[in-house]
Amino acid sequence: MKYLVRAIVFGLVGYVSGVWLTLAVRGGDPTDEVAVVFGFILALLGWLAGIGGLEAFGRQWIGKTPKLSEDHTWRRYFQFSGDHKVIGIQYGVTLFAVLLIGGLVSMIMRIELAAPGMSIVDLEEFNKLMSMHGILMIAVAVAGIIGAFGNYLIPIQIGAADMAFPRLNALSFWLVPPVAIGLLSAPLLGSFDAGWTAYAPLSVTNDSGQILFNLALIAFGLSSILGGLNILVTVITMRAPGMTWGRLPIFTWAGFATALLTFSVTQFFAGALTLITMDRVAGTNFFGPEVGTGILYQHIFWFYSHPAVYIMVLPGLGVVLELVTTFSRKPLFAYKTTVGALLTIVGLSVVVWGHHMFTSGMADFLHGPFMILTEAISIPTGVIFLSIMGTLWQGKLWFRAPLIMTFGWLFNFMIGGITGIFLADVATDIYLHDTYFVVAHFHYTIVGGAIFALLAAFFYWFPKVTGRMYNDKLGSIFAVWVTVAFNFTFMPLFWVGINGMNRRVGDYPEAYAAANKFASISAFILGASFLLFVGNMLWSAVKGPKAGANPWNARTLEWQVSSPPSHHNFLSQPVIVGHPYDYGGDGSPHVIFPDAEEPPDEVSLEEASV
Amino acid sequence: MRKSWLPVGFLWLVYTILILALVKYVNVLPTQWAEEAQVVDEAFLLLMYLAAPVMAMVLAVMTWGMIAWRSDGADREDGPNTHTNRIVVTTWLVLTSALAIGVVINPGFIGLAEIRGEPSSDYVIEIEASQFFWEVTYPNGATSFDELVVPAHMRVRYDVNSTDVHHSFWVPAFRVKIDAVPGITTRVFATATAEGSIEDDINLRIQCAELCGAGHAAMAMPVRVVSDAEWNEYITSIGGSG
Repeated sequence: MKYLVRAIVFGLVGYVSGVWLTLAVRGGDPTDEVAVVFGFILALLGWLAGIGGLEAFGRQWIGKTPKLSEDHTWRRYFQFSGDHKVIGIQYGVTLFAVLLIGGLVSMIMRIELAAPGMSIVDLEEFNKLMSMHGILMIAVAVAGIIGAFGNYLIPIQIGAADMAFPRLNALSFWLVPPVAIGLLSAPLLGSFDAGWTAYAPLSVTNDSGQILFNLALIAFGLSSILGGLNILVTVITMRAPGMTWGRLPIFTWAGFATALLTFSVTQFFAGALTLITMDRVAGTNFFGPEVGTGILYQHIFWFYSHPAVYIMVLPGLGVVLELVTTFSRKPLFAYKTTVGALLTIVGLSVVVWGHHMFTSGMADFLHGPFMILTEAISIPTGVIFLSIMGTLWQGKLWFRAPLIMTFGWLFNFMIGGITGIFLADVATDIYLHDTYFVVAHFHYTIVGGAIFALLAAFFYWFPKVTGRMYNDKLGSIFAVWVTVAFNFTFMPLFWVGINGMNRRVGDYPEAYAAANKFASISAFILGASFLLFVGNMLWSAVKGPKAGANPWNARTLEWQVSSPPSHHNFLSQPVIVGHPYDYGGDGSPHVIFPDAEEPPDEVSLEEASV
Repeated sequence: MRKSWLPVGFLWLVYTILILALVKYVNVLPTQWAEEAQVVDEAFLLLMYLAAPVMAMVLAVMTWGMIAWRSDGADREDGPNTHTNRIVVTTWLVLTSALAIGVVINPGFIGLAEIRGEPSSDYVIEIEASQFFWEVTYPNGATSFDELVVPAHMRVRYDVNSTDVHHSFWVPAFRVKIDAVPGITTRVFATATAEGSIEDDINLRIQCAELCGAGHAAMAMPVRVVSDAEWNEYITSIGGSG
């Protein structure tokens, strides 16, 4: 823990020095935004140096050998470890905690929204809660699957000992806690009320908490970019012998597609937020109220933030595709077409941002092209559905918690996809834009698409990561519970949206009272379901039965090594000799270990008692 | 091998009919108060009809999967070794592309042309948004901060702008919306079709539809639709140059 303590101390010292330096140079007050900016920057550097950056990078700068955490006890999770499995768990636990905090914020929102009129907060406080909920959940959705499972699994699935740049990987993760701390401490400066979208000029003129939003998100962007770069280089250069692109597991393909996006578009959000930060502290006027460039901000913002939707959903697609093939015991249907679809989604996702702006006042001639391109995305998305349904078709479906979650995902993402068409169509979007229809739609795609996949992934890979099996009966109950409660919460919100209730409001006309009350009660039931999930996971991680190497009898590489995998994953070099999903084939393996002395320990399915 | 086609096809048909019936007989749309609302609602319903078979297909596969493709326990075997099926994939791509193109044409471009309409109008009403109120300026220069009164059966152009941050001019009953952008005048057209007020329908209101700060939720203003003659009388009565 000494590194964590050192990180906190260095961070605090950095913050105080930044503020002190600013005051020494220009005077003013410690809560001035410019002081906060320099405080945050130095705090971030101090934190990174303290947690282990000094040893991992600093030593090299003075000619010594860099050092990463070598600890093999539980303490490594609080250190600057380059081990991709440690980093995966760090991401998973941190972001799940953020998910729970964001969920609690939404519970407060639903209490307020349970009836018209104001009860526990005022309109302004509601906007701040809404903005906090939004950005925390966006962070979870952006980095949850790719940060936790991408880091943990991609090197194993391709037969590599680790990621290409372990130190950079550690840096990507250790940037995340300051992001969470920055966002959660924004209420000290009056919080931010401009939504997660931070539209200018509102975000230029609102309370000082906005500055912490900007700084935190820029740091988060850096983390995403470095993480994306790492995954790209790892997948391109570190595949085991025989791991051709045509044999790459679909989750790794999805992670690769995601990394292409995070690496190339995150800069735009960070750039837009930098300009807003400059407007607030440096006297520039890029997006001030009198300039009339608010639409430009929206263009830059959505140029990142529409692809960001796919950054959230693509890893989810990878998880679901991986799960249907394992639990149907059939090859992934139309593998090559599906990979093509994932890459087509990447390509199209960067040219459709304008559909968020049909009512923004942007030039009329842009409406048609953005509508065509947006609706074109339905074609590759349809291929993903074809692949899922084709894989399920006459398969041997094993209804365990991961597959039940996948069925919930399938239903939710279908609703999310279909309602997306209404928002791609100009005529209907002009009406539905900024209503609760949009709120329901993106919860169906992002919670239904990304978070459901994240939960399914927790179940599916739990035995691999912990070496123990979760309780599947409780897991299955949770899977049904969360799916039903989710639908009861968000289905009525389509209706209130269609009937004229706008989003981001703490109060609404009496006409929408009944549906909102229903949604609120369902939301509390939805929130409660997570107690069951967390309880199951925690208890099983300690007391669950030993799971063995391959409890699901899956073919991909991560299941051919021990649970949890050894340090650097493989005792001997894996060689890829076949397709990862050749279920029902001639029994030829996906991978062999030519130099292995003995195969990894096998526990039969009965013993694993799944 | 082909034994699932029949039950899944049957379920697909049943679900499609059920969803189509739901769309036809359960009205989820609010009352229309403008010609533009008719365009939007038509587009909405068309998309619902087109969505029915798509939803039904996913639901059919899910249902039959839960009924007939179960295989529990440790002794289960592998399923058939089907990697792909060129006919199915090609058919799927052709059909989904055709559907996407169809949606782009109608309601896409047809709806776009209809909702945009002719650039001409009978009257121009200026709407100025500020944190957190609306100011209406009528053609005779009369202004109001209390309500928007519009003539029925007249095509009105709303010239919208903002004095501070972005807002959005939205009358749910008319189904039209355009952002109020500081420094730019945006415009939107609406032709009211019946006389009424917020007493008749909560959606006869201007509601700000772009997060604009603390008072965003409360930034609403009642809308009243009256006859052309009454409207002329009204705007004269509240002042302006006649």
